[in-house]
Amino acid sequence: MGESPNPDWMNQWQALARQYTNAWQDASRGAAGAQPSAAAPMEGFEQWSRLFSSGAGGQGETIERLIDSTKRYATYMQSLLAVATANAQGSNVPWGNAFAQGFAGSGGGTPLFEHPAARAWREMAGQGGNGFASFMGALRAPPNADLGELKAWLNLPAFGSARQHQEHYQKMAVVTVEYQEQMSRYNALMLKASQRGFELFEGKLAEREQPGRQIESLRALYDLWVDAAEEGYAEVALSAEFREVYGALVNAQMRVRAQVQQGVEHIGSELGMPTRSELDSIGERLQALRREVRERGKGAGDGLADEVARLREEFAAIKAGAKGTPQGAGGATKAKTETEPQRKVGSAKKHAPRTRAVPTAAPAPKKVQAPKKVQAPKKVQAPKKVQARQP
Amino acid sequence: MGPIKIDPARAFEEALTTQRKLAVALQTLRDVDDVHFGVTDKEEVYREDKLVVYRFKGERPPSAKVPILIVYALVNRPYVVDLQDDRSLVKNLLARGEDVYLIDWGYPDRADRWLTLDDYINGYISRSVDAVAKRIGVKKINLLGICQGGALSLCFAAMHPDKVKNLITMVTPVDFHTPDNMLSNWTRDMDVDLFVDTLGNVPADLMNQCYLMLKPVRLNQQKYIGLVDILDDKVELENFLRMEKWIFDSPDQAGEAFRQFIKDFYQGNKLVKGGLKIGAHDVHLGNITMPVLNVFAEQDHLVPPSASRVLGEHIGTDDYTQIAFRGGHIGIYVSSRAQREVPSAIHDWLAKRAL
Repeated sequence: MGESPNPDWMNQWQALARQYTNAWQDASRGAAGAQPSAAAPMEGFEQWSRLFSSGAGGQGETIERLIDSTKRYATYMQSLLAVATANAQGSNVPWGNAFAQGFAGSGGGTPLFEHPAARAWREMAGQGGNGFASFMGALRAPPNADLGELKAWLNLPAFGSARQHQEHYQKMAVVTVEYQEQMSRYNALMLKASQRGFELFEGKLAEREQPGRQIESLRALYDLWVDAAEEGYAEVALSAEFREVYGALVNAQMRVRAQVQQGVEHIGSELGMPTRSELDSIGERLQALRREVRERGKGAGDGLADEVARLREEFAAIKAGAKGTPQGAGGATKAKTETEPQRKVGSAKKHAPRTRAVPTAAPAPKKVQAPKKVQAPKKVQAPKKVQARQP
Repeated sequence: MGPIKIDPARAFEEALTTQRKLAVALQTLRDVDDVHFGVTDKEEVYREDKLVVYRFKGERPPSAKVPILIVYALVNRPYVVDLQDDRSLVKNLLARGEDVYLIDWGYPDRADRWLTLDDYINGYISRSVDAVAKRIGVKKINLLGICQGGALSLCFAAMHPDKVKNLITMVTPVDFHTPDNMLSNWTRDMDVDLFVDTLGNVPADLMNQCYLMLKPVRLNQQKYIGLVDILDDKVELENFLRMEKWIFDSPDQAGEAFRQFIKDFYQGNKLVKGGLKIGAHDVHLGNITMPVLNVFAEQDHLVPPSASRVLGEHIGTDDYTQIAFRGGHIGIYVSSRAQREVPSAIHDWLAKRAL
């Protein structure tokens, strides 16, 4: 062990935290309107939160994640510092206690370990639909509720003129309860992942008992825990059980969303508003139409290309024949053959096959009457949006 | 002797250092400019709906006769291949004389909800390939598919082998049912019809959360605690923020294409099991007869190496090369090792097949 710190280190820590907090406040009082407050170790991070929530510009989300993580890490450091100091003074406090304390967030700190995957799922419930997260929170089943009994009541048949409405709300309640059930199963697996992570962590620590391999810094200990936590999580997340639970959770959440959407759609319809189903239906038809138009255009384009290819072959044959024909034979008419499809749409014009040839001594080629056939501009309807741009 | 030998004085100093870094960060973060991407000059050569094909301009004209068209994944933005001056796959390929094009898919919205994989592969990719080929005056071009874009490129090359001279795949999933594929495990019991019918397009934020959950502690927490170490280094901080911005700059996914990708690739594993149909085409990897270079990352948490390295067993070409890169899914474009190794490997491989 190295030199012991001042036994009053906690006071030092708090004083320094206060000093930095004050510095941050001084630096930003004008811009961010920060209010002075009693400084505690955590207060610095809270100040961070407030300062950057208003002034971080495009980095706001990153700062939020940074603050959240550092707050948790600060809790962890504080716990371990307490144990390190106590042990340096002759106590024998198990390090595991410090971890447990740090992870639970006791003493007003933020817990280091709330499994991020579980937290992510709560946040995910709010993705893609404004207000959905708060809606899910509002519909949360009461703790210790007998969900089976609750669902049985919710499945009672509805009667009367408001039957459809009642059925909708009953169904809404049922799918919400089912979602809570699946969420509980998922959280149980996250707990299992955490426990497995701790088991692995203990194993990794045991491997470090030899001199030279011991953990000597707070960060190294944290990193070792992260390795173990990820391994524990991966074991669970790759299991068949997780596959089933995860799938059931996703499906349950989608059923809740679908039920909410149905309610919104009904209200929208009653108010004469265009509904999502109607817009989707239009979009689907439009996309089908675009495909059909493109297919037709492609067919026409291919036919034209084939025809041009045939004409080129014919013309090459004529040209070859003309070279072998004596001068003046068959008439000295200068046959000017021009095959230039009159494409005018989009890129087609730029890339239209241009075959311009002026045979000097060829007979008037009867076969080379292609222009009429090639002039099929209506068929060459390259879609307007498909515009190959030349550099 | 216990495993933990933390000196309280040192631990105290460690904690204070964290405090100091946070204090300095207030100033550093204010000094950091808004981060930008895409360092290489480029020109637009083709546009359709939200898709744009760009051609990158090198410092000198390309020596390669056949261009490379990069087909990136639909789930992230493609500028990661040209992130910053010292982290650019594109720039390094240009420096070696390659002629580089890239498909930028844009950000699909509700108007794109009905786009299918057929629309993407036999439509957008096919017309992009045609546009590039026509521009250069060649019949076939080189295709470089990355991640999901690699899977799409495999399908395209299998359906249109006459349009692809050489195929390069990077961090591309081929066998979606390997036991270490976490994303695959999660999607297997999902009712994807209910999912897409409910969500329409799949929100980008939801996709991002899903990726973060692959390594939840490392990606949600440890990464940001590590960030504290560089809070006083403006350049490092900007690099971090640039990458961070890219990670969370994800497009929504067109619902129908997502539905088919999950059903046929993740759930059905049809790319290797067979039975994959894209539009009117049956997709058989055996039809891939052009030379193929497959580059995968050994520490890839999104596309495990096992999912990629089987490609050679399923394609119809004898000219197959694979390279295992020491790094992760993103490191393969942006790490300093990647800058040294990947562009050279691609260029050298293409050069041998240039004739």
